Amino acid sequence: MTRTLETAGAWLLAVLWILPLAYALWAAFHPAEFSARFVLTAPLTFANFETAWNAAPFARYFLNTIMLVTLILAAQLVLCTLAAYAFARYEFPGRDIAFALVLVQLMVMPDVLIVENYRTMSQLGILDSTLAIGLPYMASAFGVFLLRQTFKSVPKELDDAARVEGAGPLQVLWKVYVPLAKPVYIAYALVSVSYHWNNFLWPIIVTNTVNSRPLTVGLQVFASTDQGIDWSIICAATLMTSAPLLVAFLLFQRQFVQSFMRAGIR
Amino acid sequence: MLKRLALAMLAAGSLFAVQAGAQTEISFYYPVAVGGPITKIIDGYAAAFEKENPGVKVKPIYSGTYQESIVKALTANKAGDPPVLSVLLSTDMYSLIDEDAIVAWDELLKTDSDKAWHKSFFPGFMENSQTGGKTWGIPFQRSTIVAYWNKEAFKEAGLDPNKAPASWNEMVEFGKKLTKKDASGNVAQWGVQVPSSGFPYWLFQAFTTQNNVVLMNKDGTQTYYDNPAVIEALQYWVDLSKKHNIMKPGIIEWGTTPKDFFERKVAIMWTTTGNLTNVRSNAKFDFGVAMLPSGKRPGTPTGGGNFYLFKKSTPQQREAAMRFAKWMTSPERAAQWGIDTGYVAARADAWDTPEMKKYVQGFPQAAVARDQLQYAVAELSTHDNQRVTKALNDGLQAALTGSKTPEAAMKDAQREAERILKPYRK
Repeated sequence: MTRTLETAGAWLLAVLWILPLAYALWAAFHPAEFSARFVLTAPLTFANFETAWNAAPFARYFLNTIMLVTLILAAQLVLCTLAAYAFARYEFPGRDIAFALVLVQLMVMPDVLIVENYRTMSQLGILDSTLAIGLPYMASAFGVFLLRQTFKSVPKELDDAARVEGAGPLQVLWKVYVPLAKPVYIAYALVSVSYHWNNFLWPIIVTNTVNSRPLTVGLQVFASTDQGIDWSIICAATLMTSAPLLVAFLLFQRQFVQSFMRAGIR
Repeated sequence: MLKRLALAMLAAGSLFAVQAGAQTEISFYYPVAVGGPITKIIDGYAAAFEKENPGVKVKPIYSGTYQESIVKALTANKAGDPPVLSVLLSTDMYSLIDEDAIVAWDELLKTDSDKAWHKSFFPGFMENSQTGGKTWGIPFQRSTIVAYWNKEAFKEAGLDPNKAPASWNEMVEFGKKLTKKDASGNVAQWGVQVPSSGFPYWLFQAFTTQNNVVLMNKDGTQTYYDNPAVIEALQYWVDLSKKHNIMKPGIIEWGTTPKDFFERKVAIMWTTTGNLTNVRSNAKFDFGVAMLPSGKRPGTPTGGGNFYLFKKSTPQQREAAMRFAKWMTSPERAAQWGIDTGYVAARADAWDTPEMKKYVQGFPQAAVARDQLQYAVAELSTHDNQRVTKALNDGLQAALTGSKTPEAAMKDAQREAERILKPYRK
């Protein structure tokens, strides 16, 4: 009996969760007249995608976004791994204070720092570039914290054994810690990529031209506040821009779910 | 070290720019507020202007919605790197002055033709563009609120399809006839829809103006949210759904209201003139455009965006920016812009151009907004505008959802506004 209830509950939640996506699919593939009328015989069309694709240089935006998330993720993985390793396994003066400062950074919303970050980018002379969008996010406090906890849970014996075998500090990191933290890396990468794929406010402020703007900023041409919203085209554009993430998630679903279970991020 | 190097590089860069000399670049933030290929139209304008004015380069930067644009412009300004020219909400004037971000246009007006240009705009639009005897904004994409009505629905309800409600009482009376229920008692078609999401204060200002009361003083330092006539106006708005049952209860989404109109879910909608082109191409029935109904008087606020000139610019840039703004608002272009987007061409002589005359002849609805301008008042705008307006918005939505009475909601809003505005009174 409870089992049936549980299954029913799970289905209900799943259906509720999928509804917006299902609606987006419906609206995107039907002419605008049918965006709020659900008739099974409604004609299918690709026109919405065509209009959306032609409304902005989306090919370039895709390239920019992919470069952006790759750049940020690569820098985050390197920086956070090294920092976390130091915090987890080395004694040095001021370690706890430094770590506390990293944790404090977790509490600060990035939006508060917009003006200061902009000023820094302006002084560096890199406004309107992919690097400027990514730079403030590269030293990720969340990443450092997460990896430190993971590295701490690695048995010290493994570390010692590797050192007895003659491995240097970086070799130990590479051969012992990193492989053991793989699920955490995967989970963290997913969070990072999806966050930066969807980030909007900072990119729109720090960029000016098509050459550096990511997809989300490209979508702004549909935000016609004065004129009302054409759901069909918005849905088509949204599906189009989130498709790579959705497809990647569906393909690697099993690994992701397992990583999340192990890494403890929800 | 890195910073110093970067600064040196910047300095070298600007030195180079000065030497290149002849080219003046003006960066231009433009918020995307209407749908369609709007960025292409603006790019086209910039290119055409460059062609006629060699030596000036216009760089349009699309900066999101109005809200995002003001954030972007002020951020860039604080970092010392603002645009030269920007279209921003006319109501952001006080905020921009308080931030010391913009300069008045007056000192740039040297020749007689410049001065004539400056006087050519409808006075209704200049109310939000001037303060302290100076002109800070040049009207560009401006609008007012108008009522669109579905003539077929009027006919079905036994009303004269060519006559929109002219007074508050008529609106209720018509609305009752237009509200249709299906067999199971659900409403299939509402009489009226006045959107209340996003910026309800703007639509509310139509009600208060019609009730012959203003929401703020001319200096932008005082609001009158708890004036009895303001509360009365809110009561009327709330009663449209609560008492008379002719408007969908709760918050009505701005963005989807035109869609509801096209789908015949509502017979009369209030929305911006900026929607005219949209309605014209999407309504599958005969529709009319009317001035808003009168309470004690007819009335609507103006809305939309002005050109602002940022302070941190060279004299050459300012001069070029003025030429560009003048070019963008010339009668022919203002007319074309109005036809393309539905915004109200902001100067009287634009309505005398042959294109505009032809357009109005074929589509008389387009002239309603212009004719309504004589009753238009300045949009709510004060110092620290975003917060003062938000106080009102929160109050309005609380009243419309029924969580506060109109009186309590407006008193709370006024208290909040007082608190914010106190420091600005000298």
